[in-house]
Amino acid sequence: MASQEKPRIFPVDDFVRDELYPGYKQAFGSQPFVAGPVRPFSKADNARYWLRDSLHFSEGMVPASIALLDDAQTWGAQLGAEIVGVPPTRGSVNRLAGTHVYIGTIDVDTDWQVQARAARFGQYVTPILADFDSYWAMRAGELQSAYDYFDTLDLTAMDPRQLWTAVKDGYAFHRRAWFIHFEVMYVLTANYLAFYQLAEEIGLEGSLVSAFLSGQQTFYSKTDEGLWKLADRARELEVTAPLLHADPADMRAQLEALPHGKTWVAEFDAFLQTYGWRTEETCRIDTPSWIEDPSPALYAIGSFLAKPTGFDFHTTRQQAAAERDAQIEAARRTVNGSDLQRFNEALASNQAANFAWWNEEHNYLIDRRAAIPVRRASLELGARLVNEGKLRQPDDIFFLFKPELFAVMEDAGPGWGELASMIPDRRAYFEDWRRRGPELPTMLGTIPDTVPDPIMIEVFGLSGHFLETLKGGAGAAELRGFPAAKGIAEGVARVITSVTDLHMVQPGDILVCGGTTTEWTPVFGIIKACVCDTGGSLTHAAIVSREYGIPCVVGTAAATQTIKTGDRVRVDGRQGTVQVFPSQAP
Amino acid sequence: MTSDVLDLSVIRITDSQRVGAKVARLGELAYRGWRVPDGYAVTVDALGSWLPTAARSELARLLRGHTEGTAALDRLATQAQALIESEQLPPWLEDAVTAAHERLRKRTGLGGRLRVAVRSSAIAEDGAGASFAGQFSTFLGIQRNEDVLHHIRKCWSSRYTARALDYGRRIGRYPLPAHDLAVGVLQLVDVRSAGVIFTLDPVTGDRGRMVVEANWGFGESVVSGHVTPDQWAVDRASGRILDRTVGAKRHWSVFDPTAAKVELKPLPADLTGLPCLDDDEVGYLCGKAAEIETAEGVPQDVEWAIARDAPFPDNVFFLQHRPETTWAEQAPAQEPVPADPPARAFDPVQYALRNVFKVPGT
Repeated sequence: MASQEKPRIFPVDDFVRDELYPGYKQAFGSQPFVAGPVRPFSKADNARYWLRDSLHFSEGMVPASIALLDDAQTWGAQLGAEIVGVPPTRGSVNRLAGTHVYIGTIDVDTDWQVQARAARFGQYVTPILADFDSYWAMRAGELQSAYDYFDTLDLTAMDPRQLWTAVKDGYAFHRRAWFIHFEVMYVLTANYLAFYQLAEEIGLEGSLVSAFLSGQQTFYSKTDEGLWKLADRARELEVTAPLLHADPADMRAQLEALPHGKTWVAEFDAFLQTYGWRTEETCRIDTPSWIEDPSPALYAIGSFLAKPTGFDFHTTRQQAAAERDAQIEAARRTVNGSDLQRFNEALASNQAANFAWWNEEHNYLIDRRAAIPVRRASLELGARLVNEGKLRQPDDIFFLFKPELFAVMEDAGPGWGELASMIPDRRAYFEDWRRRGPELPTMLGTIPDTVPDPIMIEVFGLSGHFLETLKGGAGAAELRGFPAAKGIAEGVARVITSVTDLHMVQPGDILVCGGTTTEWTPVFGIIKACVCDTGGSLTHAAIVSREYGIPCVVGTAAATQTIKTGDRVRVDGRQGTVQVFPSQAP
Repeated sequence: MTSDVLDLSVIRITDSQRVGAKVARLGELAYRGWRVPDGYAVTVDALGSWLPTAARSELARLLRGHTEGTAALDRLATQAQALIESEQLPPWLEDAVTAAHERLRKRTGLGGRLRVAVRSSAIAEDGAGASFAGQFSTFLGIQRNEDVLHHIRKCWSSRYTARALDYGRRIGRYPLPAHDLAVGVLQLVDVRSAGVIFTLDPVTGDRGRMVVEANWGFGESVVSGHVTPDQWAVDRASGRILDRTVGAKRHWSVFDPTAAKVELKPLPADLTGLPCLDDDEVGYLCGKAAEIETAEGVPQDVEWAIARDAPFPDNVFFLQHRPETTWAEQAPAQEPVPADPPARAFDPVQYALRNVFKVPGT
């Protein structure tokens, strides 16, 4: 064939040099960022505010995870904000304290840029909101077809070149997934906040708005339902003992030894095939999916079994939907005339493009899943490198920075010997910082009076009140926060600072934590109430509490510092207050 | 054959080639949750084949004849209509209609007391560009089964009135194809007030204004132009009533039980100066009409009726809607494609820019 001809080469050698203009540095061209890459803190960062993101990354980042963080909360958010044209913000930017992630935002600070962004924001967002279903179906379809491809790759059968290609494709996909994430998120946040502001303008409480939009089934509510069903099945099949008492490592063997154990395990495996393509945290290449390690799912089932009865999802969901509809009707009765028409249209727009729903639903397609293709391919590559004597264990590969891995795989930069020699120290560094994680401050830098980024307000809860409380410091006997889910509950507090401690929560506890993510969802079936340091109306804890019908107060700023495990607390989810009665008399 | 006669509950807009645009729209409205009178439809296929062969040939011969001049056209129309009305519907069709009518009596719970409107529903009617509105007949207040059958034939023969033939010829549809007319049989609402809403100002084409025209009694007095109706002009964006005029309503259309039909009668003096709708009713009608327009993507005129015997708003019925053709033809540039929704009271994007992001000048 003609294409077998040798390619003609026009050598670039004449133009290879370190210098360009006088004073030019390579670094000038090495920032593929819209606004700024992940970095360690520098002195200049004191002038800005930084919020610890223990919501998404509680345990710290191994070197390979830093590239994934770069794709996500840094590059993805910046590109999303740029393309959507959010007027006041250029997205978020990350700093690392040791291995731990802090998030800040980049305000747009010139009038012209705000105006120019406002103009294109309308052009971009309007058609998407006009038919959100089709738009999300397109994006979700793109993601799903990528997973159909990556999840079925037979990595062990690949030759070295194919496997390396799978790693690179995995990284490319991860980056793309995170652009989609922030594109959709900014569009929906605007829709949501417009409704929120309108509600306040026409005399309704803005905090009602997320309640109006609650009660939609998501992939995660289905996951929870599946877990509860498996708990019920465990009772029927009389296999509860290992689920309650066995060490996770032996659990499968102990289950299969029981008369109906194999039946239950088969049902559990089928559940995992649908719901198990998820990791526990975001961008953490070192965390396994449930398919690899189902311990989190088994823990959840065990904690459900600790409750005497099952959870009636059907009735709870119907009650939640009826209550939501009643709240909407009650609101409608209080507004008049053209206000009512605006209310109806804003509600319809938000029901059609529903942030409260999407904020849960998207995790399964993006946050908890997008890193799995890279992880699987990297681990296979790591295993082969162990066989070749280049690494000592497969997950050593997670302790290489992405540019290092790419360079060595493409035969550039330092060789394997040099890289491998750094890994033990890097592991020790990671462990050291992991231990220090719970002591790290919630906030660093200069606390501002207001934060303009809508995602920072609604998801992270950086409201004016929150910022005030932070400035005032902890220690008050009554905490105030955002009234996220109504109801009053009194009980014993359980302070949890990491998802890995979640199994310590007992039925009837009042959960006190920094913030919750999807992985915390199962615990909402056994707790009496929830209190969080961070969070706004769209926080995970707010949404899930409403669905489980328990009181919740978020954005208290100082709950985990003020409350100790064992204290009695009284949570008022309508007033947004938490009273603390310390367990030792003063 | 059950497909010759369809209950309204199974009819959708996609059936317009079988049951005519008018009834298909009504079925779709009901399906989407708007209150409409219940009923059934005799399909185009059933009616296209009901005439015996001999009558059909005779009709075709008549229509080929010379039709220049009003007198000739009148004579032709009279002959054609007499020919059709002298024929009985075939037994298979009579049986299907009778069964459907019995089902309707059961569904409404009225039994033999049920009164219906027998309405022509043409395929060409109300289509884009030309309106056959009012060309074909509608008969109101029909109660007995044999009268229903008779008026279905009368609907069919109304295709051959002089006016309809002339109109068909002017728009290039002459002779009318056989398979172009269905008949809807619909529960007759006990009407207190009725009329039409235009989702744009029918005089100026201003899309910012909706206009409601109404009279006491059945809507026929309004649609036929026999009275000067009450009129409200409503600002689309705010829903505010901009203008209200109490019409000099000397007559109304009422159901006359002895004549067994709706007739135009003098309006009692105490009702003449009284507006036949209150502001809540006007607001409700405009809101619903705007929803219909949004769903259709083009301005509509919507016929509605308010019943005497149920509480508001359960007593508001929608009878039919169609594209507002005058302005569709005259101002195509202003005609929105469906992607351009009608004026909204709330635009989340503009609102977010102004009130959330606080962008100066938005």
